[in-house]
Amino acid sequence: MSITILKPGISASIQDLGRWHYQKFGIPVGGVMDKFSASAANIICGNEVNEAIIELTLHGTEIVFNEDAYCCISGQGCTAYINDTKIEFDRLIKIKAFSILKTKPKRYGCRAYIAIAGGFHLNKIMGSVSTYIPSSIGGINGRNLITGDIIHFTHKINKTQKDNTIQISENDFAYANWHINIAHQHNDSNETSIDCIKGPEWSLFNESSQLSLFNTSFTVANDSNRMGYRLEGNELSLIQKQEMISSAVAMGIIQVTPKGQPIILMADSQTIGGYPRIARVCSADLPKLAQCRPGDVISFNHISENESLHKLSGLQKKIDQLKISVEMTNR
Amino acid sequence: MIIPRIYSIHDQAITIEFSQTIDEQINMQVIAWQHEIESNPFPGFIECVPAYSSLTIYVNSDCNIDDLKNHLQKKINITENKNHFNTFSNNQDAKTIEIPVCYDSEFGFDLPWLSNVLKLSIEEIIQIHSEHIYRVYMIGFIPGFPYMGVLPAQLETSRKQNPSLKIPAGSIGVAGKQTGIYPAEIPGGWNIIGKTPLTIFDKSSESICLLKAGDHVKFIPITKKEFDQFQ
Repeated sequence: MSITILKPGISASIQDLGRWHYQKFGIPVGGVMDKFSASAANIICGNEVNEAIIELTLHGTEIVFNEDAYCCISGQGCTAYINDTKIEFDRLIKIKAFSILKTKPKRYGCRAYIAIAGGFHLNKIMGSVSTYIPSSIGGINGRNLITGDIIHFTHKINKTQKDNTIQISENDFAYANWHINIAHQHNDSNETSIDCIKGPEWSLFNESSQLSLFNTSFTVANDSNRMGYRLEGNELSLIQKQEMISSAVAMGIIQVTPKGQPIILMADSQTIGGYPRIARVCSADLPKLAQCRPGDVISFNHISENESLHKLSGLQKKIDQLKISVEMTNR
Repeated sequence: MIIPRIYSIHDQAITIEFSQTIDEQINMQVIAWQHEIESNPFPGFIECVPAYSSLTIYVNSDCNIDDLKNHLQKKINITENKNHFNTFSNNQDAKTIEIPVCYDSEFGFDLPWLSNVLKLSIEEIIQIHSEHIYRVYMIGFIPGFPYMGVLPAQLETSRKQNPSLKIPAGSIGVAGKQTGIYPAEIPGGWNIIGKTPLTIFDKSSESICLLKAGDHVKFIPITKKEFDQFQ
């Protein structure tokens, strides 16, 4: 059983929750940008959260389903249609063979995720199917999806996809008779507030740069991508110019280039970096940040390390709760 | 004794920064701690990432990061006081690996420029570079790129002002106090002095990287003919 990519759109790639255990060889973790939406789509499909998923950036994707399938789309950045009927996000959908799923533009958000119940058949490289383009690793031939790509999937009927929960009549698709409200944190606008903790080199920055970070706003630059978000705004500078000894960096670190431009490292961040790190994004706000598109305006809000850890455990609880809700619904 | 600094770089990753220097003793300490943690993993441990003078530990939600920080701080205080890891000389895993290099000007296209800047003949550069044994301090920048040092002072140069757009895979470069091997064809700013016929990064092999942090490397000069026979 398979789907065929008719149009990849702005960009589409295969991801999962990342390629762990190989950072000591310089291999980035990678994986989905918005872990919350990707996990939600997989959970709704009855999959493990780490199952392979298609990450869509913005709109323009067209996929034909070559067989009947159960799927879910979650996230932001586009609206979705099956054979020209608009569909809801975060729903388990039974889609009939030969139906076409299309995405169209939306004013805000950046990434949507398509999961299929049973998961895609793909070879894991170093324990993951995540596509990392600079080294041609993962996904399909280590690249973004292109027109004509055929991706096979396993049609697995487990308790989540009991056939009797979805009745397809003459329509091309139908929703499961249950609906769980997913408490996404995305802003429904092009302005976002992101919680941050002071970074390891915070004290090396001059006072006006420290004030700028939390009291002015920054615009996501056009050359932002899965590796990092370049920000346009006030220049940030050190009290005294100095060379740093390179050390490990992770998704969410806000590093500052010698020219004073902040860059937030994202999913495909390199493993080691040498720029001073003024702050880091609260891990629970990374899904929200991943939904920012070039041109969006970000303001940073200072929180403590404990508040950040508390927010992260709250997010983890939400995911656990979602799993339980889906299981209960299908009992 | 420098007291290591422990800080978060993510809600699920902490760094132990032993110093802010490139120093063989410090890097040995980093690798010793990496082995210590990898061989006694705790609940929630994912992986360690060694760098020049710091070690970063990634964990999942099964690990309380505050407890981990406290635990590591105590353990470091005890072991560093006893000088336990400072006396640590060689870990069992660390190997000395011989890497054949063809220093022919076809591959080492920056040799003439270096010769001019360093006031050394090309032969002297090759001799100095290949006589020394280098330590692999860390792997990063791009998958499989080994940062090795310390380069003899006579060979120290700055990076290129204008990075080369395409440096072929296997190229050996020097920059500052470091020498490295390009695992894949990419743009880069190091001065290129030769090329190895070995594959140092192979995503489909089991070991993935020929080298790891803590290993030692000796470059063995080979002729163009020997290089071609390797292919």
